[in-house]
Parts: sequence; structure tokens; C-alpha cells
Amino acid sequence: MLKNYFKIAIAVLLRRKFFTFISLFGISFTLTILMTSTALVDNILSASYPDYKRDQMLFVTRMTKKNSKEGWINSSSLSLYFIKRYVSTLKVPDKIAFYSFGNSANSYVNNKKISLEFKFTNDVYWEATEYKFLEGKPYTRQQIDNAEFVAVISERTKKSYFGDAAKVVGKYIELDNVNYRVIGVVKGVPRTNRNFFGDIYLPYTVSKTKNEDQGLMGNFGVALVGKSKADLPAMRSEYEKMLSKVPREKDYDKLYAHADGAMEGLSRNLFGNDDSAGFGKMTAILSGVVLLFMLLPTINLVNINITRIMERSSEIGVRKAFGASSKTLVYQFLIENIILTLLGGILGVVFSFIAIYVFNQSGFTPDFEGSLNFTVLSIGLGLCLIFGLMSGVYPAWRMSRLNVVAALKVN
Amino acid sequence: MFRHLFKLIWNKRKQNILFLSEILVSFLVIFSISSMLVYYYLNYRKPTGFEYEKVWAIYYSNPLKTKDKDTLATFFGQVRSTLSALPQIKEVSFTGSNFPYANSNSTSGFTYQGKKYNRINYFQVDQNYDKALSAKMVEGRWFNKEDGIMKSNLIVINATLKENMFGTQPAVGKLIGDDEDKNKSKIVGVIEDIKTGGDYYPAGPGMYKMLDSASYEWISVILIKVTDNADAVFESSLSKLMAKSIPNSNIGISHLTNLRESKNADTVIPVVICSTIAGFLIINVALGLFGVLWYNINQRRGEIGLRRAIGASGSSVASQLVTESLFLATLSLILGSFFAIQFPLLNVFDLPSAVYLIALLLSVLFIYILVILCSLYPGRQAAAIHPAIALHEE
Repeated sequence: MLKNYFKIAIAVLLRRKFFTFISLFGISFTLTILMTSTALVDNILSASYPDYKRDQMLFVTRMTKKNSKEGWINSSSLSLYFIKRYVSTLKVPDKIAFYSFGNSANSYVNNKKISLEFKFTNDVYWEATEYKFLEGKPYTRQQIDNAEFVAVISERTKKSYFGDAAKVVGKYIELDNVNYRVIGVVKGVPRTNRNFFGDIYLPYTVSKTKNEDQGLMGNFGVALVGKSKADLPAMRSEYEKMLSKVPREKDYDKLYAHADGAMEGLSRNLFGNDDSAGFGKMTAILSGVVLLFMLLPTINLVNINITRIMERSSEIGVRKAFGASSKTLVYQFLIENIILTLLGGILGVVFSFIAIYVFNQSGFTPDFEGSLNFTVLSIGLGLCLIFGLMSGVYPAWRMSRLNVVAALKVN
Repeated sequence: MFRHLFKLIWNKRKQNILFLSEILVSFLVIFSISSMLVYYYLNYRKPTGFEYEKVWAIYYSNPLKTKDKDTLATFFGQVRSTLSALPQIKEVSFTGSNFPYANSNSTSGFTYQGKKYNRINYFQVDQNYDKALSAKMVEGRWFNKEDGIMKSNLIVINATLKENMFGTQPAVGKLIGDDEDKNKSKIVGVIEDIKTGGDYYPAGPGMYKMLDSASYEWISVILIKVTDNADAVFESSLSKLMAKSIPNSNIGISHLTNLRESKNADTVIPVVICSTIAGFLIINVALGLFGVLWYNINQRRGEIGLRRAIGASGSSVASQLVTESLFLATLSLILGSFFAIQFPLLNVFDLPSAVYLIALLLSVLFIYILVILCSLYPGRQAAAIHPAIALHEE
């Protein structure tokens, strides 16, 4: 039976090539857009280089002080003081890595300017993450305590600063009039990974601004790493208990510094606020956008399908006259439609591969390696089926109500 | 004629409802994209209000642990004279972190004659700011050195704020109050609008206040205007000089031209992505419309043949079909415009109403052109139907 339907479907598709082209164009194009964006978002959100253990991590990157009476809000990253005095007392996390954000400085080589984003980190940073060292190794606890002027640089920094030199470990890199000895070169991280992106990594003790301030705000962030995913709730509750004991500063009655997983962090940034992570809101808004985006090609497809089906009214009339039930006919047309959308889906996957390849190669975000993995492909397949059903049900229903006599009379 | 058309459409309402909804959704997509484009284009046409070429921003961190105002003022006074002494530097201006194209902004508000003015860009600058940016005064004067010493409450406002507050009346000499109408400030000048957010955003209302000696504690940017022969070699030596003059500080130098490019790219890239997607959607819709119209006309061969047989000319048949599609499109557009007009009425995104109205006109025009293009070929095909053959088939 299915084989028959399949044969009919192919024959019908080949008969009206123009309509088939329009349908395939709409389906494959819509899927390409949806799958490409899913692949890009998936790359940003799911565990990838260098923090493969992202599911076991909680990030604290932002602190907000609020005076709820006057409406004053003061918000920034964390201070080193807060991290050392409070966060480092936590017992549950296996590792506590901290790092600074968004410091950039210019370096001048052969009268050419290179802008480098540098990150101060502790030694645990290198244990919490799995950077790929192309050369050398990270700095140790000892080197941090001695405030040695050593640096780990990214592959791109190596290329722009040292040119084609084969080995650079042991050479010096100058930043703000200070010479740092290069002790390691790592594979680059894309800028989209804000927590771990850097052009050059330095021991936090060499910072010129000695970070002696006793305030809570500064430009550091913390990653708490549990032994396994199961540690997250315990880590969170211990962190919250600790946070509630942090003395409130004068003039401010509320203090927020959330320990969020990677996904929550993103949704809180985009759609949430200090009281809620906005996860539900993000899901609702995103699905709304996807639905709206799919609406136009779907209506178009429904239109085309109806045209196609009505054209075959004589065939339907004959089959009905010979006793085919409406249900059988509806099945047949749904299957035809799903075959069509799956064909479009395959084209969509091919186009998505091309689009992602172009995006990776474009140098738009260096070191970014988006890819179509199993998750993305299955989401694409799911969307394809929804798409096929959405655009197939209404025409099939319209067809099934066709009056036999009327259908036969037309011809 | 129209009553007749309406009857034809009404008879096939079931088939038409999909056609109508397709045009409606396309219209809404086009409307949102064109609102965005019109908004950016209108802003783009306005002058920048200053010269960004050859202006560099030096960022530094303040390493001095003292909070003593005089010490700080003396220290940074020395930095200023060190910089001004360089032949490649024409102007030196200390400023708050919200200089043009920086990723920082600061707003304020006040009440004037019972009316509240909110979200006014607030800039803290020094006496050389206008010269460093080659900005022009519309009225009155810019700050001079004495203004800083005298702790007087003088402000300069920009042309947009002046227009909002005083219309065509002169603004210089007027007194305005701060948040609670206390501490009156005197307007000494009106400066041309400076588009600080890149080429695609309006300058918005703005006010400028002179830095006083207490501010040196927290400001961290110096704008310099350099001569034509300032190159990378000079930049490198400038960076070393700064590191020497402000020891233990992190020094960064950026060019306003580069900052401007990245600001503009932030705006342009999403627009290009959205427009490309919308463009493909529209191609999709156009092909769909074309296919459906083509099919419909083929279905109506009998009717058309009959009309031709009783004397209708080919062109009148074609124009009937085109008019029919346009009539259908109009029905959708009326409904779509009803939704679209809510944006300026409810002031949804705080954009000027003119933006929405222009966008509305453009999208209506666009849809009509799309429908005409999609129905022309099927219409011509219908006109070519030979009455004898069509009636014979029947």
C-alpha cells in the first residue's frame, strides 16, 4: 500500500514540475534558516571547546545592588575581594576558577597595532577547562604566587605577534610596556564564549591595579565546577546560603549575584531579570518567532497543495465512486505531502551544511566552528514533519469533503 | 464593475481566504522590515555633526590612590600639557566615558516650566571638547577655561533638546533646574547635534556639563585630535609616553573611525540578515501567488472563452484578471493597515510616526507591485485564449 502511495506521489510531483519546485523551494529554504540558526545557537549553548564540562558548571558573572525604595541600581561583574573572601569558602564545588572580563590593550609590533583582549585567571582555570595546548603549558599555582610575568597566548595572537615563527615558548610579548614570557599557546576560543575567550591569559597577581579594593564589584567572574551534574543543586544551595551572609552595603537593601547554568545565564541576560531567570519567557518568545516565521511558507504550501489536489478532483471522484473511504484518501494525501516535505528537508540539510560552512569560513567570528550534530538534525527532522502535517491536513480535509458527483461532473 | 468583481470574489470566498491571508502576512513582514529600513535611512541622512577622522580615544585606568582633588587636578593637568606639547596632537580633551561611538551612555532628566524632560543624554566634557571633535555651535558659546574654575552651573544643550524645549525661541541665558527644580543651571550655548550612536541612530536630546576638578577621580578617557602625519609609529610612541606619564595604568588607544565602523556594523549586520530572510520569503510568496493565479486562470478557460466569444477584447480580459487580484490584495491591505496603524497610534517602539507612515506607504506599494507582477503573465495567457477552442473543450 505504502509503496503504491509512494509511486503515485512521485508521479504527481513530476507531472507539475513548477508547483513541485515552488513547494521544495519554500520547504528547503525555511528549514535551512531554522537549522542554521539552531546549529549556531546550539554551538553557543552546549558544551564545546574549551569547557566540555559546562553541564557541571555554575557561572557567577554579574552582581546587582539595588535600593528598592529609591530605585537605584548598580550592576557590574564581581570583585576579586568578593571571590576570595566569600566564594572561595564554598566546600561543595570541586574546582573554583575565576577570570577577568573585557580588558583590552594595544600591542605594537613592527609599527603595526594589534588589539589584544587579555584575561587574568587563577591556576584552577586551567584545570576547570580543557584548553588544547599547541605548545608549552599553563602557569602553575607557584608562578601565580610569585607574580611571574608569564603568559599563555592564543594561536591567533601568536600569528599576529610573532608571524610565522615555529616555536614561541620562551619568547617575550609586550603589553602596556610590560614584557611577558610566553609559556603556552592554546587553540583559540570564539568570542561568543564570553567566559573563556581571550587573546592572552595572564596570572591575576600581575595585574597593575592590585585589586585590593574591598568592594564587591570589579571585573571578575567565577565558574564553580562540580564533580558531576548531580552536584549542581547542592552547589547552588550552598552558594545561596553564602550569598545571604554577605553584608549589604550602605544605601542598598538588595544584593543579587546569581549562580546560573550556561542556559539560564543567557535567558536571564536576554529576557529575565534579577528575580526570575526568564527561561519560560525565552522559550515562549523563541517558539513564537519560529511559528511566525514558518507561517508564511506554510500558508503558501497550503495554497499550492489545494491547487494541486483540486486539479486531481477527477481521480478523487473515481476512487470515491469505487468505494475508497475519506480516511484512506486523507492518508494518501498526507503521505504524499510528507514525502514532499522530506524531500525538501533533505535539500534543506544540504543547504544548511553549505550555509554553516560559509559562516565558519567567513571569519565573521574567528575560531567559531558551528556544525550540524545529531541534536540539530533531529530538530530539523521534527520541524520537517510538523511542517508537512501543518500544510497537509487542511487540503486533505478539504479534499475528503469533495462530493463524488460534483467531482466527476467537472470532467 | 466593482460590485460585479466583489460578487465573483464572494462566490469563491473559500479559495480566496488563503490568498488573502498570504498577502496579509507578507504585508506585515514587509511592513516591519521597511519600518526598520526607513528609520535607519532617515537617521542616516542627518549630518554627523562632528569630524571623527583623526580623532583618537586614549583609555587609561586611574592608579592614583589619592582622593584629594587638587593633587588629582595637578597630576592630570601635567598629563594634559605633556600631550599638548607633542607636535602631532592638535587638541586634548578629557571626557566622561560616553564619548561618540563608545559603548557607554549616561542619561539625566529635569523639569522645566512644569514639563518633565527625561532620558536626556548627559555628557561631562572639558573646554576643548568642541575643538577636538570640530563640532559647531548653533547659538551662544562653548565652555572656556574659567567656567571650570568658577564652579558655576553652566550647561550647553544640543539642537534637538533646544528644539524640544524652546522651539524657535533663543535658548541662551535661560535657566533650567535639575531633578527637583533646584540648583538652576544657565544655558550658555547650543551645539549642533552629534550622532554618538553611529550613523543610523539619532543624536537625541543632549546636554553638556563642564568637568570640575572632582571629576578626575573617575573619568578615564582622553580624546585627542591628531595631525595628518600621526601614524602607527607615533601611536606606538604615544602609548609608551602615556604609560610613563600615568604609571601603573592600563593604556588603550582606539581610533574613532574604527569605533564608528564597528558601531555601524552592529546595526547593519542584523538588518542585512533580516532583509535577506525576508527577501527569500517574498520570492517564495511571489512564486506561490504566481502558481495559484496561473492555475485559477486555467480553471476558468470556459468562462473566459465565453466572454471572448461575446466580444470582450483580449486586453479587457487580462485587465479584468489583474483587477481582480488587485481587489483581493486591497482587502488584505485594509486589514493589514489596520494592524500597522496601531504602531504609531500606541507609540509602540518610540519611533517617530513619520517612519511608520512612510513604511506603510512603501509596503502597500510593494504588495501592489508584487501582485501586478504575479498576475500579469497569467492575465496575458488568459487573453491569448482562443474562444472557439475554449468553448469546444467545454
